[in-house]
Amino acid sequence: MRTPLGTFVHARSGDKGGDANVGLWVAHDGSPAYDARVAWLLDLVTPDAVRTLLPEAADLDVEVHRLPGLGAVNVVAHGLLGQGVAASSRFDPQAKGLGEFLRSRHVEIPEELL
Amino acid sequence: MSAPLRVGNCSGFYGDRISAMREMLEGGPLDVLTGDYLAELTMLILGRDTMKDPSLGYARTHLRQLEDCLGLAAERGVRIVSNAGGLNPAGLADRVREVAAGLGLDVAVAHVEGDDLRPLALFDGALTANAYLGAAGIARALDAGAQVVVTGRVTDASLVVGPAWHHHGWDATAYDALAGAVVAGHVIECGTQATGGNFSGFRSLDLSRPLGFPIAEVAADGSSVVTKHDGTGGAVTLDTVTAQLVYEIQSTRYLGPDVTVDLDSVRLAEHGPDRVAISGVRGEAAPERLKVCVNELGGFRNQVEFVLTGLDVDDKAAWVRAQLDPQLTARDVEWSQVVAPPPDATSEEAASVLLRCTVRDPEAGPVGRAFTGPAVELALASYPGFTMTTPPQQPTPYGVYRPELVDRDLVHQVVVHHDGRREEVA
Repeated sequence: MRTPLGTFVHARSGDKGGDANVGLWVAHDGSPAYDARVAWLLDLVTPDAVRTLLPEAADLDVEVHRLPGLGAVNVVAHGLLGQGVAASSRFDPQAKGLGEFLRSRHVEIPEELL
Repeated sequence: MSAPLRVGNCSGFYGDRISAMREMLEGGPLDVLTGDYLAELTMLILGRDTMKDPSLGYARTHLRQLEDCLGLAAERGVRIVSNAGGLNPAGLADRVREVAAGLGLDVAVAHVEGDDLRPLALFDGALTANAYLGAAGIARALDAGAQVVVTGRVTDASLVVGPAWHHHGWDATAYDALAGAVVAGHVIECGTQATGGNFSGFRSLDLSRPLGFPIAEVAADGSSVVTKHDGTGGAVTLDTVTAQLVYEIQSTRYLGPDVTVDLDSVRLAEHGPDRVAISGVRGEAAPERLKVCVNELGGFRNQVEFVLTGLDVDDKAAWVRAQLDPQLTARDVEWSQVVAPPPDATSEEAASVLLRCTVRDPEAGPVGRAFTGPAVELALASYPGFTMTTPPQQPTPYGVYRPELVDRDLVHQVVVHHDGRREEVA
């Protein structure tokens, strides 16, 4: 069903110069579906999927680094913040809320993971 | 084998909770208390401070904390290690000695320098240029008996790695142990972000009290347990620790001046309430070159925000834009996109959207009155419901950060020990 990514995925985001950086990982909430959720998250989060969920990154170079041992992926959106925090005219120049924005996006999640 | 070293953190940025140093010293046992005060932007702020007064350039809040807490730290035998020296670690070390003398304390204060590359003039236009130093200088200062160590731009994790390196007597090639300490340092360097701050699972936490600052107990093999003092708010869980691990990294290899960490080798386990163990961390030799934080003055910026309410927001935005644009002389002019508010919203605020105009220019003039004046003059002459979120603002200078690399041979990390002796470290 279509439901927010943040249903069982946590996020933290920030800046490195002009690049935005988001870590996404599966919550340790005691669910028996933890391993299946991790496999699903690692499949879901590709550079193209990030560009879809985050339309302002549509034309940017996006990297996704998988950290299966932590049940996590790390996303780097190059140039999202322009020249960096002090110069950026972006609404959230340090990308502090970017992770929460991604968590609020609706994605198709298999019923058995919910 | 040496016992684990209990290292606390009391600051994640210049501006963090001023009472945290006292809370950490009073809240329970510690061996070392660390504080990170330097973000990329902070180096720029300190650079501007030194333009006004060359005796500044350090994090002044750290000095205030020490005025309050140096006696307490000395009494409890807790050593204090921070990067609050910023662009002037020697200056801060002198101020700390003055504070100690004023309190009648005999405290050994050392500092680490050599990160400031401005004298080499390698980077065009740089207002600040600081190599990210490693932890060896801190370790040697502690070996020689320092009770307070202040540094300039060392990596944030080095504030934890240095004390652990000193305590456990590691070789410089003990990569796995060093990598373990880097991970511990990375987890606690941002203060309460390890204990529930900025955490998307916040609803499951104890929010009734201020979040406790984090502690890492670093063992002789580099493994660690992250925890916090009893009785403080928030929590240390697999998720609060993971949050910090996956933040501010740029690949699965975390490069540092002393060791490269394989982040996917990290294993976490819960060892009781508010205790998360970190193990399995693998490290390898660090890159040949060091990272450099370069800031240059970019120019000046300013902005106004127009409030657009109710119907026809696209046409309202288009009109005010068409009125203002031709009058602006700033080099860069950017307008935000507006999205229509929900129909039939039940409050004025919910029915309103913001249209932001941001201007930048190498000079202050075109983004000062030359910008805000024409915007204000539209107040009775533009779209219906014209209002702005703030009165006109002054231009503010902005910097541009860029990462660079430098050969290690050009960087000379020097410890100035508490007795004045200078020692260069690799």
